[in-house]
Amino acid sequence: MIRHLTFTDKMSSKTSPEKDTKTSDGVDWEAWQNSLLNETFANLMRLTSIPFLPDKMTHVRKGITPREIVYEEDRLKVYRYIGDAEPKFKTPLCFVFALVNRPYIVDLKEGRSIIAQLVKAGFDTYLIDWGIPTRAERFLTTDDYVNGYILNVVEHLRERTGSEKVNVMGYCMGGILATMFTAIHQDLVKNLIILATGIDFSTREGLINLWTDPRYFDVDKFVDTMGNIPAEFLQAAFLLIKPIDNLVDKNINLMENVHRDEFVDDFLYMETWLNDNTPVPGEVFREFAKYLFQQNLLVQNRMRLGRHMVDLRKITCPLLNLMARKDHLVPCSQSEPLNDLVSSTDKEKIIWPAGHIGLGVSSRAHKELWPRVTQWIGDRST
Amino acid sequence: MSDSIEKSFDQVAAFQKLWLDSFADMASIWSQFSPTSSPSDELRKMRGGMLKVLAETWDEYMRTPQFLQLMKASLSGMLDIKRMARDGLNRVHDQLENTSKQDVDDVLMAVRHVERRILDRLEGIEERVTNLDDRLETVDHRIARQETAIERLGQVVRTRAQKPAGTSRE
Repeated sequence: MIRHLTFTDKMSSKTSPEKDTKTSDGVDWEAWQNSLLNETFANLMRLTSIPFLPDKMTHVRKGITPREIVYEEDRLKVYRYIGDAEPKFKTPLCFVFALVNRPYIVDLKEGRSIIAQLVKAGFDTYLIDWGIPTRAERFLTTDDYVNGYILNVVEHLRERTGSEKVNVMGYCMGGILATMFTAIHQDLVKNLIILATGIDFSTREGLINLWTDPRYFDVDKFVDTMGNIPAEFLQAAFLLIKPIDNLVDKNINLMENVHRDEFVDDFLYMETWLNDNTPVPGEVFREFAKYLFQQNLLVQNRMRLGRHMVDLRKITCPLLNLMARKDHLVPCSQSEPLNDLVSSTDKEKIIWPAGHIGLGVSSRAHKELWPRVTQWIGDRST
Repeated sequence: MSDSIEKSFDQVAAFQKLWLDSFADMASIWSQFSPTSSPSDELRKMRGGMLKVLAETWDEYMRTPQFLQLMKASLSGMLDIKRMARDGLNRVHDQLENTSKQDVDDVLMAVRHVERRILDRLEGIEERVTNLDDRLETVDHRIARQETAIERLGQVVRTRAQKPAGTSRE
Protein backbone atom coordinates (compact mmCIF):
# COMPACT_ATOMS: atom_id res chain seq x y z
CA MET A 1 0.00 0.00 0.00
CA ILE A 2 1.37 3.36 -0.93
CA ARG A 3 1.03 5.90 1.76
CA HIS A 4 0.76 9.44 0.43
CA LEU A 5 1.93 12.15 2.79
CA THR A 6 1.03 15.76 2.50
CA PHE A 7 3.61 18.40 3.40
CA THR A 8 1.66 19.02 6.64
CA ASP A 9 1.85 15.29 7.42
CA LYS A 10 5.55 15.37 6.82
CA MET A 11 6.01 18.33 9.13
CA SER A 12 3.89 16.70 11.81
CA SER A 13 5.93 13.50 11.53
CA LYS A 14 8.96 15.51 12.56
CA THR A 15 7.35 16.26 15.90
CA SER A 16 6.70 12.56 16.53
CA PRO A 17 9.87 10.72 15.45
CA GLU A 18 8.69 7.41 16.83
CA LYS A 19 5.95 7.31 14.22
CA ASP A 20 6.61 4.39 11.85
CA THR A 21 6.48 5.66 8.29
CA LYS A 22 7.52 2.42 6.62
CA THR A 23 5.03 0.44 4.60
CA SER A 24 4.74 -3.31 4.62
CA ASP A 25 7.19 -3.59 1.68
CA GLY A 26 9.91 -1.91 3.78
CA VAL A 27 9.92 1.32 1.78
CA ASP A 28 10.16 4.51 3.78
CA TRP A 29 7.98 6.75 1.66
CA GLU A 30 8.45 9.71 3.96
CA ALA A 31 12.19 9.51 3.40
CA TRP A 32 11.45 9.41 -0.33
CA GLN A 33 9.33 12.50 -0.09
CA ASN A 34 11.95 14.26 2.04
CA SER A 35 14.63 13.33 -0.42
CA LEU A 36 12.63 14.59 -3.39
CA LEU A 37 11.91 17.81 -1.57
CA ASN A 38 15.58 18.28 -0.68
CA GLU A 39 16.63 17.50 -4.21
CA THR A 40 14.13 20.03 -5.55
CA PHE A 41 15.51 22.73 -3.26
CA ALA A 42 19.07 21.76 -4.18
CA ASN A 43 18.16 21.96 -7.88
CA LEU A 44 16.73 25.42 -7.36
CA MET A 45 19.98 26.47 -5.68
CA ARG A 46 21.95 24.94 -8.54
CA LEU A 47 19.88 26.77 -11.13
CA THR A 48 20.28 30.09 -9.38
CA SER A 49 24.06 29.56 -9.12
CA ILE A 50 24.62 28.95 -12.84
CA PRO A 51 24.35 32.62 -13.94
CA PHE A 52 27.27 33.46 -11.61
CA LEU A 53 29.64 31.00 -13.30
CA PRO A 54 30.94 33.33 -16.05
CA ASP A 55 31.75 35.99 -13.47
CA LYS A 56 33.63 33.46 -11.33
CA MET A 57 35.57 32.37 -14.41
CA THR A 58 36.90 35.87 -14.87
CA HIS A 59 38.40 35.78 -11.37
CA VAL A 60 40.57 32.73 -12.00
CA ARG A 61 44.22 33.68 -11.48
CA LYS A 62 47.11 32.07 -13.29
CA GLY A 63 49.66 31.76 -10.51
CA ILE A 64 49.43 33.19 -7.01
CA THR A 65 52.93 33.54 -5.55
CA PRO A 66 54.61 36.93 -6.15
CA ARG A 67 57.31 36.64 -8.78
CA GLU A 68 59.78 38.55 -10.93
CA ILE A 69 61.27 37.78 -14.32
CA VAL A 70 65.01 37.22 -13.97
CA TYR A 71 65.95 35.80 -17.36
CA GLU A 72 64.50 35.89 -20.86
CA GLU A 73 65.59 34.18 -24.04
CA ASP A 74 63.47 33.96 -27.19
CA ARG A 75 60.01 33.02 -25.84
CA LEU A 76 61.36 31.59 -22.61
CA LYS A 77 60.98 33.43 -19.31
CA VAL A 78 62.40 32.44 -15.94
CA TYR A 79 60.44 33.54 -12.89
CA ARG A 80 61.93 33.93 -9.47
CA TYR A 81 59.39 33.54 -6.69
CA ILE A 82 59.50 35.98 -3.81
CA GLY A 83 58.80 34.73 -0.31
CA ASP A 84 58.18 36.59 2.94
CA ALA A 85 61.73 35.91 4.10
CA GLU A 86 65.13 35.52 2.45
CA PRO A 87 65.81 32.01 1.10
CA LYS A 88 67.27 29.66 3.71
CA PHE A 89 69.23 27.58 1.21
CA LYS A 90 71.91 28.88 -1.11
CA THR A 91 71.38 26.23 -3.79
CA PRO A 92 68.70 27.55 -6.16
CA LEU A 93 65.87 25.30 -7.28
CA CYS A 94 64.96 25.33 -10.94
CA PHE A 95 61.54 23.98 -11.93
CA VAL A 96 61.37 22.62 -15.48
CA PHE A 97 57.84 22.30 -16.77
CA ALA A 98 56.44 20.36 -19.73
CA LEU A 99 56.10 21.85 -23.20
CA VAL A 100 52.47 20.81 -23.63
CA ASN A 101 50.80 22.96 -20.95
CA ARG A 102 51.25 26.28 -19.23
CA PRO A 103 53.32 26.00 -16.03
CA TYR A 104 50.98 27.76 -13.57
CA ILE A 105 49.56 24.41 -12.42
CA VAL A 106 52.52 24.28 -10.01
CA ASP A 107 51.33 27.56 -8.49
CA LEU A 108 47.61 26.97 -8.91
CA LYS A 109 45.94 28.54 -5.86
CA GLU A 110 46.23 28.98 -2.10
CA GLY A 111 46.87 25.63 -0.45
CA ARG A 112 47.44 23.95 -3.81
CA SER A 113 50.75 25.47 -4.87
CA ILE A 114 54.01 23.50 -5.09
CA ILE A 115 55.87 26.77 -5.63
CA ALA A 116 54.41 28.26 -2.43
CA GLN A 117 55.49 25.14 -0.51
CA LEU A 118 59.03 25.42 -1.84
CA VAL A 119 59.28 29.15 -1.16
CA LYS A 120 57.87 28.68 2.34
CA ALA A 121 60.45 25.97 3.01
CA GLY A 122 63.20 28.48 2.21
CA PHE A 123 64.23 27.56 -1.33
CA ASP A 124 65.29 30.17 -3.85
CA THR A 125 62.76 28.95 -6.41
CA TYR A 126 62.81 29.56 -10.17
CA LEU A 127 60.40 28.34 -12.82
CA ILE A 128 60.99 28.04 -16.54
CA ASP A 129 58.02 29.21 -18.58
CA TRP A 130 58.64 28.03 -22.15
CA GLY A 131 56.11 30.45 -23.62
CA ILE A 132 53.92 29.59 -26.60
CA PRO A 133 55.90 28.36 -29.61
CA THR A 134 55.14 29.80 -33.01
CA ARG A 135 56.14 28.60 -36.46
CA ALA A 136 59.57 30.10 -35.82
CA GLU A 137 60.13 27.30 -33.27
CA ARG A 138 59.03 24.60 -35.70
CA PHE A 139 62.54 23.18 -36.09
CA LEU A 140 63.72 23.46 -32.48
CA THR A 141 64.88 20.10 -31.20
CA THR A 142 65.12 18.53 -27.75
CA ASP A 143 68.84 19.32 -27.92
CA ASP A 144 67.99 23.03 -28.18
CA TYR A 145 65.84 22.78 -25.07
CA VAL A 146 68.21 20.66 -22.96
CA ASN A 147 71.65 21.81 -24.07
CA GLY A 148 70.50 25.25 -25.08
CA TYR A 149 67.76 26.80 -23.00
CA ILE A 150 68.01 24.76 -19.78
CA LEU A 151 71.81 24.96 -19.79
CA ASN A 152 71.66 28.73 -20.29
CA VAL A 153 69.14 29.09 -17.45
CA VAL A 154 71.22 26.97 -15.10
CA GLU A 155 74.38 28.92 -15.98
CA HIS A 156 72.47 32.14 -15.31
CA LEU A 157 71.26 30.85 -11.93
CA ARG A 158 74.79 29.78 -10.96
CA GLU A 159 76.12 33.19 -11.84
CA ARG A 160 73.25 34.97 -10.12
CA THR A 161 73.32 33.03 -6.86
CA GLY A 162 77.01 32.16 -6.69
CA SER A 163 76.08 28.54 -6.15
CA GLU A 164 78.12 25.92 -7.97
CA LYS A 165 75.17 23.62 -8.48
CA VAL A 166 71.42 23.85 -8.91
CA ASN A 167 68.54 21.66 -7.70
CA VAL A 168 66.53 20.59 -10.75
CA MET A 169 62.86 19.63 -10.49
CA GLY A 170 60.81 18.44 -13.48
CA TYR A 171 57.14 17.62 -13.95
CA CYS A 172 55.91 15.13 -16.58
CA MET A 173 57.61 15.97 -19.90
CA GLY A 174 59.65 18.55 -17.98
CA GLY A 175 60.89 15.66 -15.85
CA ILE A 176 62.21 13.94 -18.97
CA LEU A 177 64.01 17.13 -20.01
CA ALA A 178 65.38 17.52 -16.46
CA THR A 179 66.59 13.90 -16.42
CA MET A 180 68.29 14.29 -19.80
CA PHE A 181 69.91 17.52 -18.65
CA THR A 182 71.21 15.90 -15.45
CA ALA A 183 72.61 12.95 -17.39
CA ILE A 184 74.56 15.28 -19.68
CA HIS A 185 75.50 17.99 -17.17
CA GLN A 186 75.72 16.09 -13.88
CA ASP A 187 78.42 18.45 -12.63
CA LEU A 188 75.85 21.28 -12.52
CA VAL A 189 73.05 19.45 -10.69
CA LYS A 190 72.89 19.07 -6.92
CA ASN A 191 69.65 17.09 -6.61
CA LEU A 192 67.21 15.79 -9.21
CA ILE A 193 63.53 15.66 -8.32
CA ILE A 194 61.03 14.38 -10.87
CA LEU A 195 57.26 14.17 -10.75
CA ALA A 196 55.13 11.82 -12.86
CA THR A 197 57.89 11.38 -15.39
CA GLY A 198 57.89 8.61 -17.99
CA ILE A 199 61.29 7.03 -18.60
CA ASP A 200 60.61 3.47 -19.75
CA PHE A 201 58.14 3.49 -22.62
CA SER A 202 58.09 -0.26 -23.21
CA THR A 203 54.97 -0.62 -21.07
CA ARG A 204 51.59 -0.68 -22.83
CA GLU A 205 49.63 0.21 -19.70
CA GLY A 206 49.03 3.80 -20.77
CA LEU A 207 46.86 4.50 -23.80
CA ILE A 208 49.28 7.10 -25.21
CA ASN A 209 51.96 4.42 -25.49
CA LEU A 210 49.53 2.22 -27.37
CA TRP A 211 48.34 4.97 -29.69
CA THR A 212 51.89 5.95 -30.64
CA ASP A 213 52.77 2.37 -31.59
CA PRO A 214 54.60 2.55 -34.96
CA ARG A 215 52.06 0.12 -36.49
CA TYR A 216 49.29 2.68 -35.96
CA PHE A 217 51.01 6.06 -35.88
CA ASP A 218 53.25 7.46 -38.61
CA VAL A 219 55.16 10.16 -36.73
CA ASP A 220 57.07 11.48 -39.73
CA LYS A 221 53.98 11.91 -41.88
CA PHE A 222 52.21 13.58 -38.98
CA VAL A 223 54.97 16.09 -38.16
CA ASP A 224 55.85 16.78 -41.79
CA THR A 225 52.22 17.65 -42.48
CA MET A 226 51.30 19.46 -39.29
CA GLY A 227 54.52 21.32 -38.45
CA ASN A 228 54.04 22.31 -34.82
CA ILE A 229 51.60 19.97 -33.10
CA PRO A 230 48.43 21.99 -32.46
CA ALA A 231 47.26 22.44 -28.89
CA GLU A 232 43.77 21.28 -29.91
CA PHE A 233 45.14 17.94 -31.08
CA LEU A 234 46.93 17.36 -27.79
CA GLN A 235 43.88 18.47 -25.85
CA ALA A 236 41.68 16.03 -27.78
CA ALA A 237 44.14 13.19 -27.16
CA PHE A 238 44.22 13.90 -23.42
CA LEU A 239 40.42 14.05 -23.26
CA LEU A 240 40.09 10.82 -25.18
CA ILE A 241 42.19 8.91 -22.68
CA LYS A 242 39.27 9.05 -20.25
CA PRO A 243 36.31 10.17 -22.35
CA ILE A 244 33.56 9.29 -19.89
CA ASP A 245 35.31 10.92 -16.94
CA ASN A 246 36.36 14.00 -18.89
CA LEU A 247 33.28 14.62 -20.98
CA VAL A 248 30.39 13.23 -18.94
CA ASP A 249 31.15 12.55 -15.29
CA LYS A 250 33.05 15.78 -14.71
CA ASN A 251 30.25 17.95 -16.08
CA ILE A 252 27.57 16.10 -14.12
CA ASN A 253 29.65 16.63 -10.99
CA LEU A 254 29.87 20.33 -11.76
CA MET A 255 26.11 20.60 -12.17
CA GLU A 256 25.54 18.73 -8.91
CA ASN A 257 27.93 20.97 -6.99
CA VAL A 258 27.51 24.23 -8.84
CA HIS A 259 26.04 25.84 -5.71
CA ARG A 260 29.13 24.98 -3.63
CA ASP A 261 31.62 27.82 -3.92
CA GLU A 262 34.72 25.83 -2.97
CA PHE A 263 33.96 23.09 -5.49
CA VAL A 264 33.29 25.58 -8.29
CA ASP A 265 36.46 27.47 -7.45
CA ASP A 266 38.61 24.31 -7.65
CA PHE A 267 36.80 23.22 -10.81
CA LEU A 268 37.32 26.52 -12.60
CA TYR A 269 41.00 26.77 -11.67
CA MET A 270 41.61 23.23 -12.90
CA GLU A 271 39.59 23.58 -16.08
CA THR A 272 41.25 26.86 -16.96
CA TRP A 273 44.61 25.15 -16.80
CA LEU A 274 43.49 21.93 -18.50
CA ASN A 275 42.18 23.88 -21.48
CA ASP A 276 45.27 26.05 -21.68
CA ASN A 277 47.37 23.72 -23.85
CA THR A 278 50.19 24.99 -26.00
CA PRO A 279 51.43 23.69 -29.34
CA VAL A 280 54.55 21.54 -29.25
CA PRO A 281 57.44 22.29 -31.63
CA GLY A 282 57.23 19.72 -34.41
CA GLU A 283 60.77 18.36 -34.15
CA VAL A 284 60.54 17.93 -30.38
CA PHE A 285 57.30 16.00 -30.85
CA ARG A 286 58.97 13.87 -33.53
CA GLU A 287 61.89 13.03 -31.24
CA PHE A 288 59.70 12.25 -28.25
CA ALA A 289 57.25 10.11 -30.22
CA LYS A 290 59.86 8.31 -32.29
CA TYR A 291 62.85 7.90 -30.01
CA LEU A 292 61.07 7.62 -26.67
CA PHE A 293 57.57 6.24 -27.22
CA GLN A 294 58.40 4.06 -30.22
CA GLN A 295 62.06 3.10 -29.85
CA ASN A 296 62.45 3.56 -26.09
CA LEU A 297 66.03 4.81 -26.49
CA LEU A 298 66.30 6.60 -23.14
CA VAL A 299 66.42 3.46 -21.00
CA GLN A 300 68.91 1.94 -23.43
CA ASN A 301 71.21 4.96 -22.99
CA ARG A 302 71.07 5.47 -26.76
CA MET A 303 69.13 8.74 -26.90
CA ARG A 304 71.21 11.28 -28.80
CA LEU A 305 70.84 15.02 -28.22
CA GLY A 306 73.01 16.92 -30.67
CA ARG A 307 76.57 15.91 -29.93
CA HIS A 308 75.67 14.31 -26.61
CA MET A 309 74.48 10.81 -25.85
CA VAL A 310 72.10 10.67 -22.87
CA ASP A 311 73.53 8.06 -20.55
CA LEU A 312 71.37 7.69 -17.44
CA ARG A 313 74.24 5.92 -15.68
CA LYS A 314 76.01 9.27 -15.51
CA ILE A 315 73.43 10.55 -13.02
CA THR A 316 75.12 10.34 -9.65
CA CYS A 317 73.34 13.04 -7.64
CA PRO A 318 70.57 12.31 -5.12
CA LEU A 319 67.34 11.43 -6.93
CA LEU A 320 63.74 11.73 -5.75
CA ASN A 321 61.23 10.06 -8.06
CA LEU A 322 57.61 11.00 -7.31
CA MET A 323 54.88 8.94 -8.94
CA ALA A 324 51.10 8.92 -8.85
CA ARG A 325 49.42 5.55 -8.34
CA LYS A 326 46.30 6.48 -10.31
CA ASP A 327 48.20 8.23 -13.10
CA HIS A 328 46.50 7.30 -16.39
CA LEU A 329 48.91 9.42 -18.43
CA VAL A 330 52.23 8.23 -17.01
CA PRO A 331 51.70 4.95 -15.18
CA CYS A 332 54.13 4.17 -12.34
CA SER A 333 55.56 1.28 -14.37
CA GLN A 334 56.86 3.91 -16.77
CA SER A 335 58.64 5.99 -14.09
CA GLU A 336 59.82 3.42 -11.57
CA PRO A 337 62.72 1.94 -13.61
CA LEU A 338 64.69 5.21 -13.44
CA ASN A 339 65.87 4.49 -9.91
CA ASP A 340 67.59 1.32 -11.18
CA LEU A 341 69.09 3.00 -14.23
CA VAL A 342 71.03 5.77 -12.51
CA SER A 343 74.29 5.47 -10.58
CA SER A 344 73.10 7.56 -7.63
CA THR A 345 73.51 5.91 -4.28
CA ASP A 346 71.08 8.31 -2.60
CA LYS A 347 67.78 7.69 -4.39
CA GLU A 348 64.21 7.45 -3.25
CA LYS A 349 60.82 6.92 -4.82
CA ILE A 350 57.43 7.83 -3.50
CA ILE A 351 54.23 6.46 -5.00
CA TRP A 352 51.41 8.75 -3.95
CA PRO A 353 47.73 7.73 -4.12
CA ALA A 354 46.63 10.38 -6.60
CA GLY A 355 46.33 11.05 -10.32
CA HIS A 356 48.74 12.76 -12.70
CA ILE A 357 47.66 16.24 -11.65
CA GLY A 358 46.51 15.35 -8.14
CA LEU A 359 50.16 14.68 -7.30
CA GLY A 360 50.79 18.39 -7.59
CA VAL A 361 47.51 19.96 -6.59
CA SER A 362 45.51 17.71 -4.27
CA SER A 363 45.00 19.10 -0.79
CA ARG A 364 46.15 15.81 0.76
CA ALA A 365 49.40 15.92 -1.21
CA HIS A 366 49.98 19.44 0.05
CA LYS A 367 49.35 18.40 3.64
CA GLU A 368 51.40 15.21 3.64
CA LEU A 369 53.56 14.73 0.54
CA TRP A 370 55.03 18.16 -0.18
CA PRO A 371 56.33 18.85 3.35
CA ARG A 372 58.13 15.50 3.01
CA VAL A 373 59.54 16.49 -0.38
CA THR A 374 60.77 19.89 0.82
CA GLN A 375 62.38 18.18 3.82
CA TRP A 376 64.14 15.73 1.47
CA ILE A 377 65.54 18.52 -0.72
CA GLY A 378 66.44 20.65 2.32
CA ASP A 379 68.46 17.80 3.84
CA ARG A 380 70.52 17.68 0.66
CA SER A 381 70.91 21.40 -0.02
CA THR A 382 73.34 23.96 1.28
CA MET B 1 38.88 -13.85 -49.81
CA SER B 2 36.90 -16.11 -47.49
CA ASP B 3 39.62 -15.63 -44.88
CA SER B 4 39.26 -11.88 -44.96
CA ILE B 5 35.45 -12.16 -44.73
CA GLU B 6 35.84 -14.51 -41.77
CA LYS B 7 38.29 -12.08 -40.17
CA SER B 8 35.88 -9.20 -40.68
CA PHE B 9 33.07 -11.22 -39.14
CA ASP B 10 35.27 -12.09 -36.18
CA GLN B 11 36.07 -8.43 -35.70
CA VAL B 12 32.41 -7.45 -35.87
CA ALA B 13 31.54 -10.25 -33.45
CA ALA B 14 34.25 -9.10 -31.02
CA PHE B 15 33.02 -5.51 -31.28
CA GLN B 16 29.43 -6.63 -30.75
CA LYS B 17 30.34 -8.80 -27.78
CA LEU B 18 32.27 -5.99 -26.09
CA TRP B 19 29.36 -3.58 -26.27
CA LEU B 20 26.64 -6.14 -25.59
CA ASP B 21 28.50 -7.20 -22.46
CA SER B 22 28.79 -3.57 -21.50
CA PHE B 23 25.03 -2.99 -21.93
CA ALA B 24 24.31 -6.16 -19.97
CA ASP B 25 26.56 -4.93 -17.16
CA MET B 26 24.84 -1.56 -17.21
CA ALA B 27 21.44 -3.23 -17.02
CA SER B 28 22.62 -5.37 -14.13
CA ILE B 29 23.46 -2.19 -12.21
CA TRP B 30 19.72 -1.44 -12.11
CA SER B 31 19.03 -4.79 -10.47
CA GLN B 32 20.87 -3.41 -7.43
CA PHE B 33 18.31 -0.62 -7.11
CA SER B 34 17.04 -0.55 -3.56
CA PRO B 35 13.80 1.29 -2.84
CA THR B 36 14.69 1.47 0.84
CA SER B 37 17.19 4.28 0.24
CA SER B 38 16.26 7.74 -0.92
CA PRO B 39 15.70 7.98 -4.68
CA SER B 40 18.31 10.66 -5.29
CA ASP B 41 21.03 8.60 -3.60
CA GLU B 42 19.97 5.51 -5.46
CA LEU B 43 19.91 7.29 -8.79
CA ARG B 44 23.36 8.69 -8.13
CA LYS B 45 24.60 5.20 -7.30
CA MET B 46 23.04 3.79 -10.47
CA ARG B 47 24.49 6.59 -12.57
CA GLY B 48 27.93 6.12 -11.05
CA GLY B 49 27.78 2.38 -11.71
CA MET B 50 26.67 2.85 -15.30
CA LEU B 51 29.34 5.43 -16.07
CA LYS B 52 31.98 3.18 -14.52
CA VAL B 53 30.94 0.29 -16.78
CA LEU B 54 30.86 2.62 -19.78
CA ALA B 55 34.32 4.02 -18.95
CA GLU B 56 35.79 0.54 -18.61
CA THR B 57 34.25 -0.53 -21.91
CA TRP B 58 35.59 2.55 -23.69
CA ASP B 59 39.03 1.94 -22.25
CA GLU B 60 38.91 -1.67 -23.41
CA TYR B 61 37.60 -0.63 -26.82
CA MET B 62 40.33 1.98 -27.30
CA ARG B 63 42.90 -0.76 -26.84
CA THR B 64 41.45 -3.03 -29.53
CA PRO B 65 43.22 -3.37 -32.90
CA GLN B 66 39.93 -2.32 -34.53
CA PHE B 67 39.96 1.05 -32.79
CA LEU B 68 43.68 1.52 -33.44
CA GLN B 69 43.19 0.75 -37.14
CA LEU B 70 40.28 3.15 -37.25
CA MET B 71 42.38 5.82 -35.57
CA LYS B 72 45.23 5.22 -38.02
CA ALA B 73 42.93 5.36 -41.05
CA SER B 74 41.14 8.55 -39.93
CA LEU B 75 44.38 10.29 -39.00
CA SER B 76 46.00 9.29 -42.25
CA GLY B 77 42.97 10.49 -44.20
CA MET B 78 42.98 13.79 -42.36
CA LEU B 79 46.70 14.27 -43.06
CA ASP B 80 46.24 13.42 -46.74
CA ILE B 81 43.49 16.02 -47.08
CA LYS B 82 45.61 18.61 -45.30
CA ARG B 83 48.60 17.84 -47.48
CA MET B 84 46.54 18.02 -50.67
CA ALA B 85 45.03 21.33 -49.62
CA ARG B 86 48.48 22.68 -48.76
CA ASP B 87 49.96 21.53 -52.07
CA GLY B 88 47.11 23.21 -53.92
CA LEU B 89 47.58 26.43 -51.97
CA ASN B 90 51.32 26.30 -52.57
CA ARG B 91 50.70 26.15 -56.31
CA VAL B 92 48.33 29.11 -56.09
CA HIS B 93 50.87 31.09 -54.07
CA ASP B 94 53.56 30.12 -56.55
CA GLN B 95 51.51 31.36 -59.49
CA LEU B 96 50.69 34.60 -57.69
CA GLU B 97 54.31 34.93 -56.59
CA ASN B 98 53.22 35.14 -52.97
CA THR B 99 54.92 33.62 -49.95
CA SER B 100 53.42 30.31 -48.87
CA LYS B 101 53.76 28.44 -45.56
CA GLN B 102 56.08 26.07 -47.36
CA ASP B 103 58.35 28.98 -48.30
CA VAL B 104 58.42 30.20 -44.70
CA ASP B 105 59.25 26.68 -43.51
CA ASP B 106 61.98 26.38 -46.12
CA VAL B 107 63.53 29.68 -45.00
CA LEU B 108 63.30 28.59 -41.36
CA MET B 109 64.92 25.29 -42.26
CA ALA B 110 67.74 27.08 -44.11
CA VAL B 111 68.29 29.43 -41.14
CA ARG B 112 68.25 26.43 -38.88
CA HIS B 113 70.91 24.65 -40.92
CA VAL B 114 73.12 27.73 -40.97
CA GLU B 115 72.57 28.19 -37.22
CA ARG B 116 73.43 24.54 -36.60
CA ARG B 117 76.61 24.81 -38.67
CA ILE B 118 77.66 28.00 -36.86
CA LEU B 119 76.89 26.46 -33.46
CA ASP B 120 78.86 23.34 -34.36
CA ARG B 121 81.79 25.49 -35.47
CA LEU B 122 81.52 27.58 -32.28
CA GLU B 123 81.40 24.45 -30.13
CA GLY B 124 84.45 23.15 -32.00
CA ILE B 125 86.26 26.43 -31.41
CA GLU B 126 85.18 26.39 -27.75
CA GLU B 127 86.63 22.91 -27.40
CA ARG B 128 89.87 23.97 -29.05
CA VAL B 129 90.12 27.05 -26.83
CA THR B 130 89.53 24.86 -23.75
CA ASN B 131 92.26 22.49 -24.96
CA LEU B 132 94.59 25.41 -25.60
CA ASP B 133 93.77 26.80 -22.14
CA ASP B 134 94.63 23.44 -20.61
CA ARG B 135 97.87 23.28 -22.58
CA LEU B 136 98.76 26.86 -21.68
CA GLU B 137 98.13 26.05 -18.05
CA THR B 138 100.47 23.06 -18.32
CA VAL B 139 103.10 25.23 -20.03
CA ASP B 140 102.61 27.95 -17.37
CA HIS B 141 103.13 25.34 -14.64
CA ARG B 142 106.21 24.08 -16.41
CA ILE B 143 107.57 27.61 -16.80
CA ALA B 144 106.81 28.36 -13.15
CA ARG B 145 108.61 25.16 -12.10
CA GLN B 146 111.56 26.04 -14.34
CA GLU B 147 111.66 29.59 -12.95
CA THR B 148 111.63 28.23 -9.40
CA ALA B 149 114.41 25.84 -10.37
CA ILE B 150 116.41 28.65 -11.99
CA GLU B 151 115.82 30.82 -8.93
CA ARG B 152 117.08 28.05 -6.66
CA LEU B 153 120.01 27.41 -8.95
CA GLY B 154 120.79 31.12 -8.87
CA GLN B 155 120.71 31.10 -5.08
CA VAL B 156 123.01 28.09 -4.98
CA VAL B 157 125.42 29.78 -7.40
CA ARG B 158 125.30 33.00 -5.38
CA THR B 159 125.91 31.12 -2.13
CA ARG B 160 128.82 29.26 -3.65
CA ALA B 161 130.23 32.47 -5.07
CA GLN B 162 129.97 34.18 -1.69
CA LYS B 163 131.63 31.29 0.19
CA PRO B 164 135.10 31.49 -1.46
CA ALA B 165 135.06 35.29 -1.08
CA GLY B 166 134.46 34.92 2.64
CA THR B 167 137.21 32.33 2.90
CA SER B 168 139.70 34.58 1.06
CA ARG B 169 138.94 37.49 3.49
CA GLU B 170 139.72 35.15 6.33
